[in-house]
Amino acid sequence: MDPGVDHAGTSFAVMSFSAEGRAVARRWAAALTATGAPVWAWHGDGATERALAELRDRLDGATVGWRLMLAGPEADVLRARSLAVERDAIDAEIRVHVCGTGRKRVWCAHCGGTTETECEAGQAVACANCGRGLLVHDHVSRRHAAYLGVLADPET
Amino acid sequence: MTGLELVVTRSAEVVPGVRELVLARPDGGPLPAHPAGSHVVAECGERRNAYSLTNGGAEPREYAVAVLRRPGGRGGSAWLHERRPGDPLVVSAPRCAFAPVLTARRHLLVAGGIGITPMLAHVRDAVRWNRDVELLYAHRPDAPAYAADLDRLLGERLRRTSDRREFRGLLGDALRRQPLGTHLYVCGPAPLMELVTDTAEAAGWPAQRVHRERFTAAEVAPGTPFTARLRRSGRDVAVAAGTTLLDALHAAGVAVPSMCRQGVCGECRVPVLAGQPQHRDEYLDEHERAAGTCVLPCVSRSETGVLEVDL
Repeated sequence: MDPGVDHAGTSFAVMSFSAEGRAVARRWAAALTATGAPVWAWHGDGATERALAELRDRLDGATVGWRLMLAGPEADVLRARSLAVERDAIDAEIRVHVCGTGRKRVWCAHCGGTTETECEAGQAVACANCGRGLLVHDHVSRRHAAYLGVLADPET
Repeated sequence: MTGLELVVTRSAEVVPGVRELVLARPDGGPLPAHPAGSHVVAECGERRNAYSLTNGGAEPREYAVAVLRRPGGRGGSAWLHERRPGDPLVVSAPRCAFAPVLTARRHLLVAGGIGITPMLAHVRDAVRWNRDVELLYAHRPDAPAYAADLDRLLGERLRRTSDRREFRGLLGDALRRQPLGTHLYVCGPAPLMELVTDTAEAAGWPAQRVHRERFTAAEVAPGTPFTARLRRSGRDVAVAAGTTLLDALHAAGVAVPSMCRQGVCGECRVPVLAGQPQHRDEYLDEHERAAGTCVLPCVSRSETGVLEVDL
């Protein structure tokens, strides 16, 4: 559900990923333009290193009053959110809207590698790093921005 | 109250009207450690008053409090002003609802008048642990308590003024230029706390970054009379205007444990079964307030003619 814009903020960063995310971000930007607050907007396919570097720059220059708004697939939104929290943003300063594909990140409990894939909790995926068959658990690390993956069949 | 039985080791007026008392165990032994921003409740003759500790809280052997004499007060501050080295003094173990947030990137402290006392502990703690700190201090022209200590501890990181307009300017400026990750701490008279809170909100500060310490009970109006209905004991207790519910209960022989008597500590919290409480405390959060299922009888009253409590 769209959380809408936080009118208590005095400056905003809006990041969107995927076409669905872009549509949401446009709605937000329109609502924010009406308030006259400065808005920085960024759009891309995903939370790539380049996207995260851009966000890092914004975070480093941000003063209290700044708000971050994220729209797009879960994997990308979680990654951007995780970076913001690592750089001292708090929950009250971040609004997210997950939309688009079911792309998730799965963190392998055995090798520590992260696999990005379309999946649901309860499904099995192959770890991109060590090749183990992982069961995706319904457990999200907001710091790792990933679901927990544990060996699906420990007998093998 | 399981108190600490201490003795006064130093007693000095630091500025006119403000007396610093330094307390220690009679054997000079270690005292309970505490975070910066803690307070103790002191037994001052007939009264119990809460005072912020100004000392650093790591391995303390002394507690220091600064007491503002309140000529119109209930006598607690006047009694403390008469304490001299060697006098016994009972205080509670330190309690804290105003500790520095250790994950904060920066700490912006704003103090007004005697509200400087918890900030002194915050400043000492921040300097000791090399945390990024800045203090804005509003005081009367004649009595900037601890100005010399703060100058020495903070240097350029202290800005102080006794000019109201200059303070507003400094405050607005400070609140607009803090890096993300800063937390704000406020202590002072109610109008100052309100000004700081409102200015912060207008500058986009989320409430989670704003921490407030009240050092006086609100100047509460005497309120209107109401009846406290005690369901378990099946009694009605009349609460007159100007009498607290807690005092009325005590007068009726109903034992309700209490501590700060200022709506801060939550010790006297009582469940409400019917009627609508008029909350005047600083302890309950907004959900608890809205639910109306408990009340702090030391300061709060009733919106309805009858307030039924689980006593």
